[in-house]
Amino acid sequence: MKKRHQQKLIILSVILLFLFNIPLILLFNKGVAFMGLPILYIYIFFIWIASIIVSYLILKKYYE
Amino acid sequence: MSSFLVISIIVVYLAFIFYVAYWAEKNSKSKWVNNPYIYALSLAVYCTAWTYYGSVGLAATSGLKFLTIYIGPIIIIPSWIILMKKIIRITKGNKISSLADFISLRYGNDRFLGALVTIVCVLAIVPYISLQLKAISETFNVITNHTISGNSIINDTTFYIAILLAIFAAFFGTKYTDATEHHKGIITAVAVESIIKLVFFLAIGVYVTFYLFNGPSDIYEQASLLPNFNSQQTINGLGGGFNWFFLSLLSMVAIMLLPRQFQVAVVENKRERYLKKVAWFFPLYLLLFNVFVIFIAWGGNIIFQNQGVDADLFTLMLPLKNNNEFLALLVFLGGFSAAISMVVLSSLALSTMLSNNLIIPYGFLSKYSRGESKENTESIKNIRRISIFSLIIVAYFFYKNFTLDRSLVSIGLISFVVIAQLAPAFFGGLFWRRGSSKGAKYGIIIGFLVTAYTLILPFIIDSQVIESSFVNEGLFGVELLKPYDLFELNLFEPVPQAFFWSLFFNITVYVIVSVNIIGSYRERNFAEMFVDNSKYASLHEDAYVWKGEAYVKDIRKVLIRFLGTRRTERALNLFFMKYKMDVNNQLADARLVNFSEKLLTGSIGSASARILISSVVKEEEISLKEVLSILDETQKTKETNKELQERDKQKDDFLDTVAHELKTPITSIRALSEILLDNEDVDYETKNKFLSSILNESERVSRLINNILDLEKLASGKEKLDLNKNSIKSTIHKSVEAVTQLAINKKIEISETEVTDANVIFDEDRIQQVIINLLSNAIKFSDKEKGKIAVRTKINEHRIEVSVEDNGKGIHSDELISIFDKFYQVKNQTVLKPVGSGLGLAISRQIIQSHKGLIWADNVKPIGARLTFTIPLNIKKHEKVIDSR
Repeated sequence: MKKRHQQKLIILSVILLFLFNIPLILLFNKGVAFMGLPILYIYIFFIWIASIIVSYLILKKYYE
Repeated sequence: MSSFLVISIIVVYLAFIFYVAYWAEKNSKSKWVNNPYIYALSLAVYCTAWTYYGSVGLAATSGLKFLTIYIGPIIIIPSWIILMKKIIRITKGNKISSLADFISLRYGNDRFLGALVTIVCVLAIVPYISLQLKAISETFNVITNHTISGNSIINDTTFYIAILLAIFAAFFGTKYTDATEHHKGIITAVAVESIIKLVFFLAIGVYVTFYLFNGPSDIYEQASLLPNFNSQQTINGLGGGFNWFFLSLLSMVAIMLLPRQFQVAVVENKRERYLKKVAWFFPLYLLLFNVFVIFIAWGGNIIFQNQGVDADLFTLMLPLKNNNEFLALLVFLGGFSAAISMVVLSSLALSTMLSNNLIIPYGFLSKYSRGESKENTESIKNIRRISIFSLIIVAYFFYKNFTLDRSLVSIGLISFVVIAQLAPAFFGGLFWRRGSSKGAKYGIIIGFLVTAYTLILPFIIDSQVIESSFVNEGLFGVELLKPYDLFELNLFEPVPQAFFWSLFFNITVYVIVSVNIIGSYRERNFAEMFVDNSKYASLHEDAYVWKGEAYVKDIRKVLIRFLGTRRTERALNLFFMKYKMDVNNQLADARLVNFSEKLLTGSIGSASARILISSVVKEEEISLKEVLSILDETQKTKETNKELQERDKQKDDFLDTVAHELKTPITSIRALSEILLDNEDVDYETKNKFLSSILNESERVSRLINNILDLEKLASGKEKLDLNKNSIKSTIHKSVEAVTQLAINKKIEISETEVTDANVIFDEDRIQQVIINLLSNAIKFSDKEKGKIAVRTKINEHRIEVSVEDNGKGIHSDELISIFDKFYQVKNQTVLKPVGSGLGLAISRQIIQSHKGLIWADNVKPIGARLTFTIPLNIKKHEKVIDSR
């Protein structure tokens, strides 16, 4: 895997670190329900799934 | 459910797991054993009984927080695969078999450091193992008695299960003395269990969500009516946010440094490319495992409201309460499999550490240095077996005596914090070459002491109900020293607090000591090898600097004691072959010393290997500076060697072609001469024909040789150009005249009307040679009927451009560049050997390059090829033109 593509993975990690932590996570820190569930759960699981898809795509394309 | 039934099911299940492991060992080449999914699934040993029951308990009592244990891994996994690649390469390259060995080797084969890491791991993990046993025992009680009282009867079933697990781990884990060998049986069994636990957990999740309730929204609506619900499902402000952050950081460290994770991810890794699958598969696995946690927790909270049911047991109690015993049994088996895979792998990883980094280096080395290979290997295996048994049994008694009333999560998190103390030494060692062994040791010790003070001591006092003012009032009644609120920061919960303070002191001490005390040269050598792994990995044994006196026969003796005669001889032969050394060599060099250390590392750990080898060799002290400069030099020599090899290869190719080119005419000369010599009565005409052929062929040979000499002279810069101011027009004209006869023969018209004159500095003979070459090529490829060739010039400020254009069929676009290669001849030429030597354009290019100009070919529309070269105008007269290649 080329250095450049490796860095994509590291950037993904850094972005996830921000998305899953304060202060960003406090944006969704409300007792509001969204689609019948607390919005914080929806947010966390959504990011979780997105991270799986993104790393799958990056690795599928660039892993040698 | 009757105990008898459950016990028989457990026995059948364990038999199945034994069989899976046995089958995998037997079919170790099968694709069912060797594939990335097995690897990714084995990583799921991260999800223990704690995940199975504890997550639900935590979600039920304190809401969101359970997610932090999985968010850490999710965040780190994308980078994890890059990091792992480095770690795996180092581990494989040095035959490292455990985390303790990794850290000890990085800091120069430090025996004490290896032992320290081992002790920290054992202290962290034994309670964790007992936690699993506790989960087994409690759930067993629940499912057999339908009561939740876990501590009423001393039920010995757990003890027997523990013994069975120890047998399993000892049987499949100590087949080889070399601990770096893959334990395919255990890993496959763990992978199978990972599937089982996930499927069963999903089953109970679906059951609770869709059978007991009407889907997620229904549970949510009912649960939101419960008291405290909203405050549980949100992060409690900035303080809560910090707790959240440090807990996710903690789990990030744990996924990399827990001994069992290191075992499955690094030691048991078969192929690097398996990492590719992990990156998405493992987060997906964790996702599936966590989707239903909140629903089970909420469902339990709703159904068991105010009934005093332990939230850790919701997963099991929900189906039991609804008389669904079969489902309860599945849940029990899922939790059981989660627990046993953790117990087996942890005890395996710890036993390797215990034997290779604590027991052997401190107790058995002198015995081994006298023993025979058979006794030694048997003894090493026995040490590991005994370690496995004692670990599991100690864990069992620990559970019996200490952890009875604690929730699963609290002990698990304490283990995480203790393990996290290894993080500065580990990651510092990977990325920071100055990190020193003293810094690592002091850092780990301080960090551990802080953890003990802020977390372990108060926990023990709490759980054993010891009368003490320590927790509430601090040491000696000093408020600032309250263990759960050190320095009255008032921000964290106990676990993040302990994590923060212990790592703060740990890192500070590690860094300060490292920059202030110079490490030994050996340490620095390994630091370079670890930090700059990609650079030194290709050097293999050369990356190790060593000076001194050593004899092959002494080293051989030591190796034989552990590997036996056959394996030693085989390894040494391979080594001698690899470095092209004489087998009868008496003196050993640095490479052999390093090679033998590596050979032993897998069996007895790096520190012991080093001690054993150094006991038979005389090592001289080298300065740190020397180590670094030698490393640097080896690296450079390696690079230069590569360059030289490349050049050698080019030369070989060239010689091959030359030999071939010479052979053809010489063969025909020889054949013709032989005919003439043997047959005296050849008629005059034939004789003449033969002789003129011979003459032609010898001319070709001499032309070829002249060309080669020419080319080499130009290329090596031996021949200086005779630079003078010349008129380009007259040079072109002279060249055209030289080929006029040839052109007339083929009825080709050469036009030089578009040539403007300019006085340029160049070597007239050479440039004429180039133009003639281009012209004769053009003549060769021009249209047969109406051949037309045009010579043109273009002048600008910097250079003059001369082009020769024909109206032949052009050059294939693939060949526009390669036609300038030596001996390149266009593919679609006539079958007959062309007149040229195949060197013409190569020589032309050389000449033009010597003039610092450019030469290239392109096609023109509608048809034809054009070859163009340039000469810069600013060449000074008799300026030394350097070879521009």
